[in-house]
Amino acid sequence: MNTRTPKALAAAVTAAALLAACSGGTKAASDGGGSKTLTLASVDQGSVEDVVKAFEKANPGVKVRYTTSGADQYQQQIRTQLSSGTAPDVMSVWPGNGNPAANYVLAKPGYLRDLSDQPWAAKMPDAIKSVAQYEGKTYNAVFGQNGIGAVYNEQAMAKAGLTPPDTWTKLLDFCRAAKAKGTPAFALGNQDNWVTQLVQYALVATSVYGPDRDFDQKMQAGQATFAKSPWTTALDKYLTMEKTGCFQKNPLGTNYEASQQLAATGKTLGIIQGNWVIALLKQKNPKGTFTLKALPATDDPADTLIPAAAGAGYGVNAKAKNEELALKFVNFVMSPQGMNVFNKKQGSLPTLPDTGYQVDPSLTELAKFIETNRTVPFMDQLWPNPKVQQTMLSGLQEIFSGQSTPKKLLAEMDADYKAGS
Amino acid sequence: MKVVPARPGRTGPPWWFMAPALLLFTFVVLIPSGRGVYYAFTDWDGLNPDFSFVGLGNFADMLRDADAKQAVWHTLLIAVSITVIQNGVGLVLALGVNTAIKSRNLLRVLLFAPAVVTPIVTAYLWRNLLGPDGAVNSLLGAVGLGDWRQDWLGNPDLALWAVVGVIVWQYAGYSMVIFLAGLQSVPQEIHEAAAIDGAGPVRRFWSVTRPLLAPAFTINLMLSIIGGIKLFDQVYALTGGGPGHATDTISTLIYKDAFTLGEFGYSIALAVVLTIIVAVASTGQYFFLSRNERAAS
Repeated sequence: MNTRTPKALAAAVTAAALLAACSGGTKAASDGGGSKTLTLASVDQGSVEDVVKAFEKANPGVKVRYTTSGADQYQQQIRTQLSSGTAPDVMSVWPGNGNPAANYVLAKPGYLRDLSDQPWAAKMPDAIKSVAQYEGKTYNAVFGQNGIGAVYNEQAMAKAGLTPPDTWTKLLDFCRAAKAKGTPAFALGNQDNWVTQLVQYALVATSVYGPDRDFDQKMQAGQATFAKSPWTTALDKYLTMEKTGCFQKNPLGTNYEASQQLAATGKTLGIIQGNWVIALLKQKNPKGTFTLKALPATDDPADTLIPAAAGAGYGVNAKAKNEELALKFVNFVMSPQGMNVFNKKQGSLPTLPDTGYQVDPSLTELAKFIETNRTVPFMDQLWPNPKVQQTMLSGLQEIFSGQSTPKKLLAEMDADYKAGS
Repeated sequence: MKVVPARPGRTGPPWWFMAPALLLFTFVVLIPSGRGVYYAFTDWDGLNPDFSFVGLGNFADMLRDADAKQAVWHTLLIAVSITVIQNGVGLVLALGVNTAIKSRNLLRVLLFAPAVVTPIVTAYLWRNLLGPDGAVNSLLGAVGLGDWRQDWLGNPDLALWAVVGVIVWQYAGYSMVIFLAGLQSVPQEIHEAAAIDGAGPVRRFWSVTRPLLAPAFTINLMLSIIGGIKLFDQVYALTGGGPGHATDTISTLIYKDAFTLGEFGYSIALAVVLTIIVAVASTGQYFFLSRNERAAS
C-alpha cells in the first residue's frame, strides 16, 4: 500500500489506456476513420450492454468501445483518467455531490460538457434537475430513479397473517406481532456500512422534509443544523425500531448479502432497502413476490414521503474525441427506447414522463409517490462533501454497537457539513 | 552441500547482476513513490489540476485526527499480536510435524494449505463463517457451547481479534514451514550428544534447537511484523474497518481517505508515515535479531 501512490497508479492506468488507444486506433482506421467509434465507461453492469447493442443497431456502422466496472473501482479509474486526459467520450456520473465521481465534483473543474442545450434537459422534473445540474447548467443525463422503502415478502406476510403498516404506531405493532411469530419484521445488513443509512433516510424523508421541504436550502444557508432538526427524531425512531425488535438479531454481523437471504427466504417478513434489491431477492427466491411500500414515520399516512433519487446517469467528456457521437449516445439514453431498456433491466423508474414505461407491479406505490411529487432526493446528494455521509455511515455502526450516541453523531455531521466543499 | 568460504575481496556476485532488477525497481517503484511523496505536502484531491502546497499541514492534521490515532493503535496491536501468536503457533506446529508421527507429511500439506489461498478469498470465506448464523456459531451450538456464540465481526470488542484470528489461521502454516526448514537443518548428532550429556527435551530445545533456529526466527518475525503493519485486504474484506472504526488500520484509512473522501494529499501523508513505521520497525528488528543470531552461533 505504501508504494501505491496516485502517480504510480496514474502511470499504470495511462499505460493501459495508451495500449487500448493504440489497438483502438488501428481498428478504427480499418473501419474507415475514427469518427464512427465512441468510447464509454459505465457502472451499469448488466444493463448498459443491452443499451449499447440497441444504440449500435439504431446507428449502423457505429462502434461503441465500452468498459464496465463496480462503483468503487470506477470512481478511482475515472478520476485518474480525467486528470491524465485519457477519459472516454461518455462516462457514468452520479447525481449531486454524494461521491468522488458525482456531478458537482466532476463539473466543477470543467471535466464535463454542458448538456443544457440537449432536447431532454428542459423536460427533467425539478427533483432530478436539482441533482443533474451544477450552477444552473445540466451536466448529467439521468435516466432512472430509485426509491427506498420497506420491501415485503408477500408469501411470508401471508403466512404471518400481517399487512404492511401505514402509520408509525402500526409499524411498531407490526414489528411486535412479527417478532411474536418468530419471524422478525425486517432484515438489516448493517455490517456493510452503506446499508446503515437506508432506514435513516426512509425516516428522515417524512420526519424532516414533511414539515420543511426547504431543509436543504436552509442547511446550505447555515440556518439549520442536523442536531437541531428532526434528524434527531428520525434517528431516535431508528433506534426505537431496533429496540422494539423490528430487525433480526445482530445486524452489525449481518452483511448485505446475508440480509437479502433472510428476506428472500421468509426468515424475515421484509427488508428496508432500495428497489434495486427486488431483482436480487428474486434471484435468491424465484418463486417469491416482493412489493415496495413507503416506510411510515408519523401517524398520518398522508404525511409519508419516500426518498427517491436519481441513479447514476451519463456525462459527456468536455474533451470528447467524438463529441457528435457522444451527444447522440446520451440522447439515445434519454429517448423512450434507451430509457426503457435501462430501467427495465435495472428495476428502476424512468426520470422523464411519457416514455410508455410499464411499471413493475412491485413498484406501483413508488411510481405513485413519484407522480404525486411525494419524494425527496437521497439526503447525501445535496451535501457539500462526501465526508458527511462517511461520518454518518460509520457513526450509525458505532451507535448500534454502543460506541457513540445520536447526539455525538449529529454534531460530527454538522461539523463536517460546515467544513464545506 | 559443501560450503565454500568466501575469499577476501570477493564477498558476493558482481554488482551488475543486480542492475536489470535495480533499474526496473528504480523506475517502477522508487521514482513514482518519490514523486508521490511530494503530494503529501499538498491539498490535492486526486482530480483537480489546481492544488496548493500546504507544507506540513497534512501531518499536523494527523495529530488532531482521532481516527488516525485509533488506526495507528489498531495497526500496532494487530502487528504485535500477529507476530507473537502466528509465530508461536507456527513454531509449535513445526515442532509437532518434525517428530516421527505417522501422518506428518499429510499434516504438513494441510497446515500449509491456507497460506496458498488468496487472502481476499480467505477473508470472504471467514466473513460468512463468522456471521451470526455462520458455521462457527453453529458449531459452538452443536457441541453444547451455545453461550460462547458471538457476533464475531459485529461486536467492536471482538472484531479486531476475529481479524487477528483469521490471519493467524491463514499464515501460521507459512511460519511453520520456515521453522521446519530451520529445524531440519539442526544436525541430529548435536541432539544425540546433548541427550547423552543428560539434557531433557525442554533443555535440548532451549539450548540446542532455539539458537540454531535464530535465522528462521529473524525471517519469520520480520515477515509477520511487516505484514501486520501494512495489513489491508483481510481487514477490508472482513469488516471494512468497522463496526464504526473499530478495526480500521492505517492502510484501510489510507484507502478510505483517498478513494472515498478524495483527500489524496492527506492520505499520501498517512502513507508516508506508514512507510516510515515499516522501515523503522523492520530495520530495527533486523539489526536486533541478526545480532542475536551472531551471538547464538
